[in-house]
Parts: sequence; C-alpha cells; structure tokens
Amino acid sequence: MWRGLWTLAAQAARGPRRLCTRRSSGAPAPGSGATIFALSSGQGRCGIAVIRTSGPASGHALRILTAPRDLPPARHASLRLLSDPRSGEPLDRALVLWFPGPQSFTGEDCVEFHVHGGPAVVSGVLQALGSVPGLRPAEAGEFTRRAFANGKLNLTEVEGLADLIHAETEAQRRQALRQLDGELGHLCRGWAETLTKALAHVEAYIDFGEDDNLEEGVLEQGGSTGWWGRKTPRISSQRLPSLSLSACLLSPTADIEVRALEVALGAHLRDARRGQRLRSGAHVVVTGPPNAGKSSLVNLLSRKPVSIVSPEPGTTRDVLETPVDLAGFPVLLSDTAGLREGVGPVEQEGVRRARERLEQADLILAMLDASDLASPSSCNFLATVVASVGAQSPSDSSQRLLLVLNKSDLLSPEGLGPGPDLPPHLLLSCLTGEGLDGFLEALRKELAAVCGDPSTDPPLLTRARHQHHLQGCLDALGHYKQSKDLALVAEALRVARGHLTRLTGGGGTEEILDIIFRDFCVGK
Amino acid sequence: MFYFRGCGRWVAASFTKQQFPLARLSSDSAAPRTPHFDVIVIGGGHAGTEAATAAARCGSRTLLLTHRVDTIGQMSCNPSFGGIGKGHLMREVDALDGLCSRICDQSGVHYKVLNRRKGPAVWGLRAQIDRKLYKQNMQKEVLNTPLLTVQEGAVEDLILTEPEPEHTGKCRVSGVVLVDGSTVYAESVILTTGTFLRGMIVIGLETHPAGRLGDQPSIGLAQTLEKLGFVVGRLKTGTPPRIAKESINFSILNKHTPDNPSIPFSFTNETVWIKPEDQLPCYLTHTNPKVDEIVLKNLHLNSHVKETTRGPRYCPSIESKVLRFPNRLHQVWLEPEGMDSDLIYPQGLSMTLPAELQEKMITCIRGLEKAKVIQPDGVLLLLPRMECNGAISSHHNLPLPGYGVQYDYLDPRQITPSLETHLVQRLFFAGQINGTTGYEEAAAQGVIAGINASLRVSRKPPFVVSRTEGYIGVLIDDLTTLGTSEPYRMFTSRVEFRLSLRPDNADSRLTLRGYKDAGCVSQQRYERACWMKSSLEEGISVLKSIEFSSSKWKNLIPEASISTSRSLPVRALDVLKYEEVDMDSLAKAVPEPLKKYTKCRELAERLKIEATYESVLFHQLQEIKEVQQDEALQLPKDLDYLTIRDVSLSHEVREKLHFSRPQTIGAASRIPGVTPAAIINLLRFVKTTQRRQAAMNESSKTDRYLCDADRLQEREL
Repeated sequence: MWRGLWTLAAQAARGPRRLCTRRSSGAPAPGSGATIFALSSGQGRCGIAVIRTSGPASGHALRILTAPRDLPPARHASLRLLSDPRSGEPLDRALVLWFPGPQSFTGEDCVEFHVHGGPAVVSGVLQALGSVPGLRPAEAGEFTRRAFANGKLNLTEVEGLADLIHAETEAQRRQALRQLDGELGHLCRGWAETLTKALAHVEAYIDFGEDDNLEEGVLEQGGSTGWWGRKTPRISSQRLPSLSLSACLLSPTADIEVRALEVALGAHLRDARRGQRLRSGAHVVVTGPPNAGKSSLVNLLSRKPVSIVSPEPGTTRDVLETPVDLAGFPVLLSDTAGLREGVGPVEQEGVRRARERLEQADLILAMLDASDLASPSSCNFLATVVASVGAQSPSDSSQRLLLVLNKSDLLSPEGLGPGPDLPPHLLLSCLTGEGLDGFLEALRKELAAVCGDPSTDPPLLTRARHQHHLQGCLDALGHYKQSKDLALVAEALRVARGHLTRLTGGGGTEEILDIIFRDFCVGK
Repeated sequence: MFYFRGCGRWVAASFTKQQFPLARLSSDSAAPRTPHFDVIVIGGGHAGTEAATAAARCGSRTLLLTHRVDTIGQMSCNPSFGGIGKGHLMREVDALDGLCSRICDQSGVHYKVLNRRKGPAVWGLRAQIDRKLYKQNMQKEVLNTPLLTVQEGAVEDLILTEPEPEHTGKCRVSGVVLVDGSTVYAESVILTTGTFLRGMIVIGLETHPAGRLGDQPSIGLAQTLEKLGFVVGRLKTGTPPRIAKESINFSILNKHTPDNPSIPFSFTNETVWIKPEDQLPCYLTHTNPKVDEIVLKNLHLNSHVKETTRGPRYCPSIESKVLRFPNRLHQVWLEPEGMDSDLIYPQGLSMTLPAELQEKMITCIRGLEKAKVIQPDGVLLLLPRMECNGAISSHHNLPLPGYGVQYDYLDPRQITPSLETHLVQRLFFAGQINGTTGYEEAAAQGVIAGINASLRVSRKPPFVVSRTEGYIGVLIDDLTTLGTSEPYRMFTSRVEFRLSLRPDNADSRLTLRGYKDAGCVSQQRYERACWMKSSLEEGISVLKSIEFSSSKWKNLIPEASISTSRSLPVRALDVLKYEEVDMDSLAKAVPEPLKKYTKCRELAERLKIEATYESVLFHQLQEIKEVQQDEALQLPKDLDYLTIRDVSLSHEVREKLHFSRPQTIGAASRIPGVTPAAIINLLRFVKTTQRRQAAMNESSKTDRYLCDADRLQEREL
C-alpha cells in the first residue's frame, strides 16, 4: 500500500512542471531529528548481524521493510520477512524488535533487525534502510550520543565515550580514505568540485547579481553575458523552450556540467548496486625498515608465497594485498616496501605507497630485525612510526600496533643486545617458527579488539552510506532541474553538494565565497 | 529641525561644540551630583541609535553620548539602505521595532526590490535615501524617544569596578569618564564607536588621523581597551568622490526607474512617503580602458592599495577591481544623494588615488566627461563620527573627497552572542567596532546590544537570536564563533536556512519573541504580528484541505499549466505553487472559503510565498530542530577551558574554546578544529554540571529563603 503511494508521489515529483514532491502519507512528522541506522554487531564471522535504527521514523522504517505486516508488539522478538521497499525483493527472514521510546537504548523509538550475517544480506538491509525517506546512516558515535543526550547513559558509562567516539571517527576516517582511494574517490571529488563551482555561481548571482554590480561578462566563457546586469530583460521559459530556468541562470557550461554529473551519478548508482569489490575485513599492514622480514611474515600468515622473499633489502616495492583468515577474522593483509630514504624512484614510490597504506591501517605489524636494532634505519623507524602510534594513549585505540622483532634465531643466547629502549614487543623467527604461537595469540587479541568494535565494520555500512548520499545527491539534482525559483535552484544544489561533501569532506560557506570572490568582480 | 520634548526626562541637545552640562537625573532624585543611568550608549551612528532606542524601549533609562547631536543619523557612506541580505537584516531590525526601516520609509527617493525574479526568499529590499531627510527623521525619532537622554560629549575612559561574582569577566563597567573629567554612572555601557579607534584617512600617499584633530578621548579609550587585554585587528575601507549633478551628461546614459508600487521596509507601513512618479532615477555608466591605464600607471602614488592591512576579498575600490579583473568594463551607478541635493554618488568608484588624478580618471568615463568633483561640506565636514568610512577633520582642507580609511576593530570572538564582552561585565560592543561593514549590519547589532544591555540591568536572561531564527543570528554567530579577517558583510549565501529566513516572515520569527522575551516591541506591532501569524496558519490549513482532481483544477484555472495526467487529488496549496497562480486566481476559482484571504494584500502575497517553499521548508524544519537541540545545551559561562581537569581536550581545542567561549554545544561544534570527540566531552561536562546544579538549586532554595528572612529582619530593624 505504501509502495503504491510512494511510486505515485515519486512519479508526480518527476512530472514535467511539478515543483515539489508531495509527501506520502506514512512519512514521519519532522521536528524530532533524523532517524539513523547502523550495523551494531561487529564484523568477523558471525551467524547473526544486528542492525539498529533510532529516531522518530524507526517504526515507519520497520513497517516499510516488513510490509504488509503491522508493527510487532513492543519489546518482543518477532519473525518477519524483510523485503526491499523499492523492488519488493525479499532480503531475509529476520528477527525484529520494536522498542518505542523512551524505553529504549537511546530513549528514542528504536528498531533492531537481527539478520543472517552474510555480507549480501547485511548490505541489502542497510541499503533498503537508506532508501527510506527520513533515514540516514549514523555518524560516528551518534547512537551513543543520542542515548547520552536523552539521559540514557549514566556518567560512569560515558567515561570511555569520548575515547570511543574518537576511535569511531578515526575508524570512519580511515575507512573513508580507503574507499576514496581509487576510482570512486576520484569521481566523488570531481563531482563535488563541479557542484561547488556551480553553486558558487548561483550564489554569486543571487547575492551580487543586482546589488553589487556583478559585472556583465563574468560568465563569458558560457556566453550568457546579457543576463547578468542589474536590470535584465526577463527570460521567459516560452522563449527558451529547450533550456530550463536553471540553465538560463547558470552559465551554460556550468549547467551542462551539472547535467552531465547527474547522468554520471545515475549510471554509477545503477552499476554500483551490482557490486564494487568489497574490501572487507580488518586492514592489517606489515611495515618496517627494509629487510626486516616483512614479506616472510606475510607469507607465513597467508600460508602461501604471496611476496617474493630475498636477502636483498628493498625487494618488495609495491603494496601487495592478500585476504586471509586469521583466527577466524577476515583480514586484508598488506605487505609494503621497507621504509627508507634516498633510493631509486621506483622504490621511493613504493615507500610513498607504504606510508599511505599505513595511514589506512586498523592494525600495524611493525617489524624490526632483532639482530639489527642499533642500525640507523631501525632507530629511525622506532622513532617515527612506532613512537607516533604508541604516543596515543592505549584507550585512544585509534590505530593499533604490534611491535614484532624478527630473526630471533640470530640472537645470542643472552637475548637482545644493547640498543634503544623498546616498547612492549614480541620475539619471532619467521625462519624457525619460534615465537609464532605467542605472536598469533597476540594478533588474535588485537584483531578481536579491532573487529569486535562495532564501529570498525564500515565496509558494509560505508557502502550503504555512499549509496545513500549519492542517491540523495541525485534526487536533489532532480529538484534542481525542475525549480523555477532561483532560491530553490540554489537550495537543490546546496543539498546535492551537502551529500557529496559528506563523502569527500569539506563543504563550508567560505569555500563558496572564495570561489565567488575569485571568479567575480564584486563590490561597490 | 530638532524637537526638544523631554518625555518626562531631561533631554540635552546642543549645536555648539562646547561641553554641555551633564544630564541631571529624573525628578525623583532631588539634587544628584553624579548622574546615573541604566544604559549608556557611546556613539550616535547606526548601531548607537538603534542600541539607545532599543534599550529605552525595553524600559531602561538610557543616555546616548555622541560627539555632536547634529550628526545623529548621518549616512556617511553610500546614500542607500538595504539590498540583498541587508534588506533581510532591515526587516528583522523592524520586526524588533528598530528604527532604520521606518525612517527609510519616510526618507527614500528611489525604492527598488532587487532579485525580483530570483524567488521571494532572496528578494532584496533597497532604496536610495535622501541623506538630509534621513538625518532629520532619525533625529526627530531619537530625540522623542521616551526614557532616552541625548548628550554631546566625548568619552575619555571607562569606569571599572569589581566584577559580579556570579558572572565571568575580570571587572565590571559602571560608567564613563568624559573628556572634561566629569563622570556618568550606568549599569551597562554599549560601545558603538565605528572606525573611531585609531582611524586613519588615506588619499594617495598622504595620511591624516581620522577624528577631530587632537581628539584625546579616542586614544584614552583605545588604550583602556588594550590594557584590559582586548585583541585588536586592523581593517580598511574606502569611499568614492562625489560629483556635481549638473556637470553630468545624463542624456547619453542608461536610466533606471524605481519600482511601481514601492515596497516599504517596515511591516507597519502599507506604503512609503513618496509616490513612485515623484521618485528620482539612477543612471548606469561603465569604466573603460583609459581608467585602467590611469590606475595602473599611478600605483606607486597609492599607498592604501599597496599596504597589507586586510581589506575585503570583494573589491571595494576601483583600484582593486582593475588590479584583480583587468581589461573589463566595470559598472558605475550614479545615485542621487537626495531630493534637493546637487550631488551624485558614483557607486563603484571608491578610490584612494591622489586628488588630481581622481578627476582625471572620472572625466574619462562616459557621461562624466565634464564632471566636477565636489567637496560636499554637507557630508564630509560634518563627519566627526566615523561610520563606514570614518571621519574627516574639518581642519583638513582636502582637495577631493575620495579616500580610504584604516581603523582598528576588536576581534568579535571576545564577545558573547548577546554582544557583551567576555572580559568586562556589562560592556557591550556593536557595529563596525566588531569588524562588520554596512549600516544594516551595524543597526542589527545595535538593536541586539540595546536589548541585552537593558535585560542585563533587570537581571533577565539574554536575548539571543539563533542562526535558525534570523540573519541577525547568523551575523552574530559567525562573528562570535569564527571572528572575521575582512570587513564582515551579510550575504544570503552565509545563511543555511535561507528558505526559512525570508524578508516576508521576519515578524513571525522575531516580533513575538521580541515582545515576550525582550520587551522591545510595541503592543500594536505585537498584535499585528500575532494576527498575521494566525491568519497565515489558518490560510495554509484551509489551502491544504481543499482537494480537487487535476482536471477540475485545470477547468477552474485554465491559465495554470496543471498536468492532468495525475489521478490523485491536488490540494489548493499545490496549485498555488504554480508560477502563474496567485491567491486572487485561486479565490476566483474557489470563492468559498478562499475569498477572505485575498482581502489583505500582504496576507495573500505571503500565502503564495509559503506555498512556493512549502515542501522544502518541511525538510528544513527537521534540520533546524537538530541545530536547535544542540543550541539548547548551554555551556557554563565560567568554564576555564585552559585548566579544567574533568574534560579531556587537546591543547589546541582548549585554546580555541578559551578564546571564543562558545555558549552552547551548537556554537562550539561550529568552531573550526573542535572535534566530535571534544564535543562529546563537553556534552558530558554539561550534563554533569546540570545535575550538580539541579542538586544545588534544591539546597539554594533553602538558602534563598534564609536570605530573604535575613533581609526581612534587617528591614524590621
């Protein structure tokens, strides 16, 4: 029933002369804040994943995903078939729990979906939620923050909250880096730039077009000079049947770029649904000075010869990734070039990539040659990489690091020779396997900490987030096309840009003003 | 001329430069030696007049101290008010019963709404104003304001006393010392001194100190502020030379006529004082390559342009236009200065070239070939106050009046959203002193400072306008949380909720609050705003309730381009969204019950605007609520961010918070560099303090009771 209404409304919204969407009757009333959703169970192998929503539209979302069934009784687990509201496709048979506020974790209306833990199901449900009007993926720490704001956490419970938020923010930042490292990131940044520029031009036209002698010819690149004066002749849509109002107001080039963006976004979204490779799992990066035995460790952990191993320093020059299963946790293991300066250009590039990868790591395995601790490269590594990560308090847990001293077989029986003071570390010999059990146990603990933290599962959530914001951007551009009122045109561009900058960062008013003052001569 | 009506209080106004005897107190104190007021406002510019009258409207006995009474209401820069963004501010000032909008409705000579075709959310009410009329009308209004005393005098210093323990701040201001050594005491002091602080006038390579020669007070005050630890920055601005009207060949220029009918600035006016056909036209001309050439050839003679003092990123002067956007024709608007003025203000020709080159450049411009540059003694020589461009001394016989001004401003992150300083209790800053530019920006701050200075006296909570409520809120929030490094001007692009904060609905947003929370709004205005608000709500719900099929609508209103392909019923409100439909055509189609909504022109127009933005506003409301939730979380004012132990914050964040002293979690989150984790930490702190306070309140109730009992006993004794 809802779907029928929604489709009608959506069609109406896309109608030729229609200004705005009429809301479907089931939509929640505004005013009590957005409704957020997130995967609240950790990553790793699990039979059941828990997805949570909080906010006034929770009940609405539950009804939509479980249509045509009504809300289940409050605080009782009920079995429901979840289906995608857009396609009607069944997603999963799941347990759902309905917690009407204020008796819930956050104090707001909450819903829990206990779904089968496969990535396809989880990502399907997350995307379905993202498509419900009024719902958006949660920001870092938002659930906890709401719970806190509504007096649902006591003060001892929130002691660690800021640390948690910090960790979540960091985890999301790293995840965003990964996600935006590559083609998609490139696309998003390009789109955001196009929108920012288009918006800046519309804003300039609004703020300075008539008041500040925005000079004619400012947009001569597009040839629309005549429309920028103080008293401009009225351009009626009848006289320009092929161009929308927005096209008249933006320079044609900017408008064409926005249109092209809309097409590209649409294509990307249709494509993305089928599958962008999911780089799931905790990101573990092996790093260290050259010839510490990083590749040996990677091969040992993955039980296959992933990297070439040789006694020659600088053998590994690129980042080698391999998905492995470590103690039951999905892990993306990266072998990187040994960190050193002053070598050939190819290896330098390898080092650059290694540093970049280090930024994105959830867990760093820092390797040193136990027999070579006094060497400049070892000392330098300890001083820069290990110390900088170690400097964060342990509760900060933004990035974890295990210091591994390899080649224990080369040590004399009395242990480590004279050298710098070392932080906590493990001894290992990749050659003999000595110390491997202890190392694996330590690794398991670290991974449990990384993966058990609900915040570090972003791959699936990030995808839902991307999808949500890209779709939001596309919808806003739809309004941009239809709007006749320039303030509404600008609003549509603002909303569209807002969605993209949630993915790429940036997006303040100052950025817009900078472009305006760079591109236009305004002032009196 | 001036009206000297005491309104129950003593009013001093003087035309002479002699020091006037100080104000005597009201009749209830028989022989006072030192006068005592609730609020003192220093400066009679756009911020000062609004501040003084707002404080008086709120019921405070107020003293306005100005160098010269006859410069009150002086428009020292451009002869116009309003514009895009600025027009919004004026509507909001009016919604709080401020003066400038009403005075403009009595003094304009060319009314024109800008951005007419860009949507009502960004309409810019603007008018060319007759300088003389504006000044006269403003003085009449100010001098007739009940509870307001006006006195000539220059302030030398502030009187400072022990701080009130329950508020933050090093000390408390309790009055001012005048240049003659006399003192006036007050509960609150508002400083609106414009470019008064170390103003410097620049023409070519010459510089002159601004303000009357030998004006010691500005130095004394500036020194006091500096000694107190206020952080000072420096800004620059400029003004064009004026041209004799009869020396311009208008016949070859582009003529622009005003709107017909004229749209008034004030909600209380149906129309303006002058008919459209009696209004004056403006003319448009352009610069040409010869102008560029003169500017570029003479850069070495132009110290203002070269210096590093921060000017705005927008181009205030013809020099910066030519430098940054060469080989273009720049517009020059020739604007009338008044009904019987023989001066023309060349908007777009602000410059600091040496005098003789200014005329040479101007005569290169089409229509200005024979232009005479005039020294308008009516304008410049009466400029001992420095509004907009600072003052010029009558001692200087300047050959030409196009000039630049450099001046000190106080970093606005040192004031709260109620415009009170963090450092000195009960000291308020408003206007250009906070780094803004423009009459409207100054007026807006003036109203807020006046209200808050008065509320402070009566120990009521401050009146703060949120970013979600008005342009005034955006202006003050930007200033107090982000500061500014160029003269801050209002742009609509700075406003997140632009579609909600429109010129048409400023009264619904602010008048009701102004009446209830501030007490600065007259009963009549309040009732009018209430009526309008309830009529709008009723009208919208009626429009929502009328539903017909699209084909029926098409039959009823054939001129509307309604698509008939939809089978769902369409609300009247949706039909009203079409560009070609207005309330009149709707009421013709459905006379019952819509006819009554067309009787009031303003109501009909506002319903149309509400319909245009209805669906977007629905979404915006949710965002607004989220922002307001954060703003409702107050941060304790006495929080010492640098030393506080219970909160884990990085040093950088601590310093930022320490300097800006945000008052709410919302404001803190807008400070660049304050991380989400820091916000959570603050949030936790707020909650803890709230709990502790709630506990304390319980006990303090008992204390207060005991206290009252003590007092009672004292009295009995």
